[in-house]
Amino acid sequence: LRGQRAGGAGPGAAAAGPGPGPAGADTVSAPAQGGGSAVIDMENMDDTSGSSFEDMGEMHQRMKEEEEEEAEGEAGAGEEEDGEFLGMKGLRGQLGRQVADQMWQVGKRQASRAFSLYANIDILRPYFDVEPVQVRARLLESMIPVKMINFPQKIAGELYGPLMLVFTLVAILLHGMKTSDTIIREGTLMGTAIGTCFGYWLGVSSFMYFLAYLCNAQITMVQMLSLLGYGLFGHCITLFVTYNIHFHSLFYIFWLVVGGLSTLRMVAVLVSRTVGHTQRLILCGTLAALHMLFLLYLHFAYHKVVEGILDTLEGPNMPPFQRVARDIPVVSNAILNTTAKAIALTL
Amino acid sequence: RHYGGYEYAQQGGFVPPDMVQQPYTGQIYQPTQSYSAASAQSFYGSSFEDEPPLLEELGINFDHIWQKTLTVLHPLKVADGSIMNETDLAGPMVFCLAFGATLLLAGKIQFGYVYGISAIGCLGMFCLLNLMSVTGVSFGCVASVLGYCLLPMILLSSFAIVFSLQGMMGIILTAGIIGWCSFSASKIFISALAMEGQQLLVAYPCALLYGVFALISIF
Repeated sequence: LRGQRAGGAGPGAAAAGPGPGPAGADTVSAPAQGGGSAVIDMENMDDTSGSSFEDMGEMHQRMKEEEEEEAEGEAGAGEEEDGEFLGMKGLRGQLGRQVADQMWQVGKRQASRAFSLYANIDILRPYFDVEPVQVRARLLESMIPVKMINFPQKIAGELYGPLMLVFTLVAILLHGMKTSDTIIREGTLMGTAIGTCFGYWLGVSSFMYFLAYLCNAQITMVQMLSLLGYGLFGHCITLFVTYNIHFHSLFYIFWLVVGGLSTLRMVAVLVSRTVGHTQRLILCGTLAALHMLFLLYLHFAYHKVVEGILDTLEGPNMPPFQRVARDIPVVSNAILNTTAKAIALTL
Repeated sequence: RHYGGYEYAQQGGFVPPDMVQQPYTGQIYQPTQSYSAASAQSFYGSSFEDEPPLLEELGINFDHIWQKTLTVLHPLKVADGSIMNETDLAGPMVFCLAFGATLLLAGKIQFGYVYGISAIGCLGMFCLLNLMSVTGVSFGCVASVLGYCLLPMILLSSFAIVFSLQGMMGIILTAGIIGWCSFSASKIFISALAMEGQQLLVAYPCALLYGVFALISIF
């Protein structure tokens, strides 16, 4: 292939460095002749482009046969001619190759343009520009409810802290699942944990943003994500403590105090940004309910306390998951008697 | 980015400061360079004796791997930012295999989990570091650093073969090793990306990732 390359394209490909080298080889290798241009030169179709010397002879032979067949019938010859337009042999010839190559180039260019447009994560860059001191301050602030609700409170539109808190919650959930030997039958532990936490963060944020839009509250999507993400700090603390120290009452205390504090903070911030009693009530009631119930769900779904509940419900005599042999002498005796009576009657 | 490294090597000797012997001036720095059209012509055109050794062609330099390993193992040693110029994945591959092998010795056949978590973790760190740093990073660089810093985790899992890690001592040892891994990784990242003052912010996601590896080792 390199020997057949035209002079113009040769020095460009052979002497280039590692970068342009492979790229140059790509574009030049497609047309065997024609100097490496991507434009299909229609003039070249008249000569032997693409076909070899033997094909020329075959083409002449076939054209002679077609002239002879014309006298007999034109329908058959016409079909043959379609496939052999100017000796190109249809899509398998030189024209087909050039068209396919050009379509591939255009498709690749469009795909890379679309990718760079939509998958551009640089639009998220300003939300990750934080200092460790800021993150620590915001974490502590998320547990302190604000008192001033008549003045719109400032929410930091930052995504690093919330994202790290969601991942921390995933890790704590995984740890809890492993220590309690939870078995997930459809799926993996990791997938379930990630799905639960990210689903809560993204789903409830979107739902609250939609409600805030309905209730005319002054909050943007990033701010909502940030607020709810920082609210997960209370969840992380509670679960971390109660997955390792298994006291029922301890969990309820933590649920009320820690969960309640972070919920109060989120609720206060939302209230300060909403006007009207009904709207405030809707927003805050929904957020408080979802937030507290999520903590309750996380504790009970992925923890060995599930077995403890079953124990207390069944009573002290019946250990859980144990088969007790059924004693049915009464039933079997009754069956025996009735069958005996039936046989006696027939006899 | 690796074109810059190619010119750098061409200037006649990139010498890591902790290397005491003669600097290696072969074609080792850019593993992809061996397959380019220019050098391929010179190699394939010559005779058998002129071909470079196999390891050099593959880009595996045991000496560099050893130097990088030492950098990871000394957490208090200052990392050189120029380590990141060469992305070599041979060392990380060896460490992942060794980690899987030590898990196998403990009776856990979980190679799939190790590879899956490392792939997803590298992807996540790649996105995060691209968002947090002024200059971007390449995926190979992130994978290389995270792979090298997996070495202390191999110590943990080999310890788990003989002793159970579920007691108090196991928890302390695990926490220490996770801290060691994430501290080394964040040290290399911030020295290479010039993100001063954000070491804790980079160390925390690394700690989460290595924590998941530790979970596999323990349970």
